[in-house]
Amino acid sequence: MTLSILYFGMLAEATGHPSETWEVTDPLSVGQLREQLLQKYPSLRDRKFQLAVNQQVADPATPIDTNAEVALLPPFAGG
Amino acid sequence: MEKTHTPKKVFVDGPISPQFISDSIAKHQSKTNIGAHAIFLGQIRADQKEGGPVTGIEYTAYTDMAEKAFHTIREAAFARFDLVCMHIYHSLGLVPTGEVSLFVFVSSAHRRASFEALEFVVEEIKAKVPIFGKELVGEAGEYTWKENK
Repeated sequence: MTLSILYFGMLAEATGHPSETWEVTDPLSVGQLREQLLQKYPSLRDRKFQLAVNQQVADPATPIDTNAEVALLPPFAGG
Repeated sequence: MEKTHTPKKVFVDGPISPQFISDSIAKHQSKTNIGAHAIFLGQIRADQKEGGPVTGIEYTAYTDMAEKAFHTIREAAFARFDLVCMHIYHSLGLVPTGEVSLFVFVSSAHRRASFEALEFVVEEIKAKVPIFGKELVGEAGEYTWKENK
């Protein structure tokens, strides 16, 4: 399945792009995707971020649906 | 009183002007069931960083998710407090130091609901809306990423 991954703020800088598609063979959870992301982008290891799946902040156990939109969100700074 | 609320446009390009704020106040003169307005204005502070003072903040957002989050916050505020109406505006793009980036405007029949709703809405925005801020520092093009406490 193909996931769409979005990177915001300092995370777009750390990865070098604002978005990419991510091919995965087996269903996976938010926590498993986080591990894959950290392997591809070691510079994310010292950044704080949470993941949103289809625009909802999701905890590590959340399963990721086929064709989900996953966003990596650095700390919020509104206001 | 309103029962359902359609999502409203929250984001504006650049700073929120004093004129825009005063026009918003003026538009409520016909709503004579209102007895209290409470307004919060978030202004860009010239914090001192290593490279100099903050000269402005460049805001970006995960806009689709942010608009949903703003809508959820509005609905929660209407459910919790006895409000007549509510408006939220937030800047995207560059807002120079000293200018306004957040304008929250709540109105109710009596003051207590407005005071309480205003604090609730501002705190919820800071904690739950995916908005990101690059603080521009000094003259040399340096920056740091802002993080809400």
